[in-house]
Amino acid sequence: MARASPRIHEVPDDLLAAIDYCYEQGWTDGLPVVPPVVDRVDAMLARQGRPAETVIATHPATGLELSLHAAAVNAVMAGCLPEHFPVVVAAFEAMDRPDFNFHGSTASTGGSAPLLIVSGAYADDIGMNSDVNLFGPGNRANATIGRAVRLILRNVFQMIPGISDKSTQGNPGKYSFCIAERARGNPWPLLCETQGYPPGVSSVTAFAGGGFCNVENHGGNTPEQVLGSVADAMANYGCITLGQSVVILAPEHMRIVAGTGWTREDAQNFLFTHAKRSVEGMKNVGKYRDREYDSQHGGSAHALAEQGFVHRGLSPADILITMGGGDAGGHSCFIPSWSRGRGSILQHSAIGA
Amino acid sequence: MQLYAPTASGPKRKSFRAPALASLEGLRIGILENGKLNAEEMLREVGALFVERHGCTIRPIYSKSNASAPAPANTLVKAAQDVDFLITGLGD
Repeated sequence: MARASPRIHEVPDDLLAAIDYCYEQGWTDGLPVVPPVVDRVDAMLARQGRPAETVIATHPATGLELSLHAAAVNAVMAGCLPEHFPVVVAAFEAMDRPDFNFHGSTASTGGSAPLLIVSGAYADDIGMNSDVNLFGPGNRANATIGRAVRLILRNVFQMIPGISDKSTQGNPGKYSFCIAERARGNPWPLLCETQGYPPGVSSVTAFAGGGFCNVENHGGNTPEQVLGSVADAMANYGCITLGQSVVILAPEHMRIVAGTGWTREDAQNFLFTHAKRSVEGMKNVGKYRDREYDSQHGGSAHALAEQGFVHRGLSPADILITMGGGDAGGHSCFIPSWSRGRGSILQHSAIGA
Repeated sequence: MQLYAPTASGPKRKSFRAPALASLEGLRIGILENGKLNAEEMLREVGALFVERHGCTIRPIYSKSNASAPAPANTLVKAAQDVDFLITGLGD
């Protein structure tokens, strides 16, 4: 079937009226948007080497398709610059994989939001923030790339709050949830390197994040102390599931962990080992399920999975851990996965591939 | 000023409702459970009402491995061959 041409709306030459018009059409996340005028959209698309009608993601339940053109329209509305657009495109190419399950993770009462982690030189090239106030406001690239993802979910895929997005409470990341991995002073290989991309290729990782948990520790001076507090956050009764985890270590914490020679794998092993709850405890809070326990302790169980305990995730590899944030402060964070388990598995994609 | 619509412009998937059953008497029921806590228990209870009231028979239960993803096509194809109607719903 032939693809219809993108629809154009004629509005008066009045910018504020155009912003109001976008509100009236139900095109916004509640904040004002940049009206998607034709020349701005064309400029957004100019850097793409593919036809504007190229489909980069498809909604599995409704069949609605995301074309580069529609992505560009929403990127303009979010406030993106053209150099931000390749990150938005790569994010949806990652999220389109069935294991990410962007329909489920967006529609669910769990209220998750796609957390994007940009890794590699491209983050610096476009001025992303990997430093102080990492998850906070103030950086155009971080803010608008994450916002573009939300606007696309809303406008293209029709994931409308209260209708097809049934988040019980949602989370603030549903406005925008996008960071850069901090390369400066990072003692471990960057994510894009561990993901197997060639030198010079940057990546974006998409993770259905269920919220944000600050991990404060200003007194710990050993890897075990610092990561022990992270593991405790990961295993809190409200969060513990078989799902994956994202941990962003503050530079101050990273210096303690890596300063004694711990590798990323050492940290993952420690966190998996210690982020656990007893079966009895899980039963006491009503969260124990035989089926889940068996999947963690069955024939393919990881060697660190301890009998009688429910760990967070299925293996240490389920814990993405890297560095981000400002130099000062013992504040790391743990981002739990969406809802109860493994309904969404994190994905990554090359930027500009 | 010309604004592009930010919505999808591709062809919409056409969906059709199955024709209503003329009668429920003696039909074969399929149950599709989504793996959530209590889903199977709840659906079995619903199925039992059809057995009691309409003489239906319950076929083996079909399961989804991921509650929030569409049922695999081969599951639905098999169910369509084995049953006259399918009951599904959320657990919890």
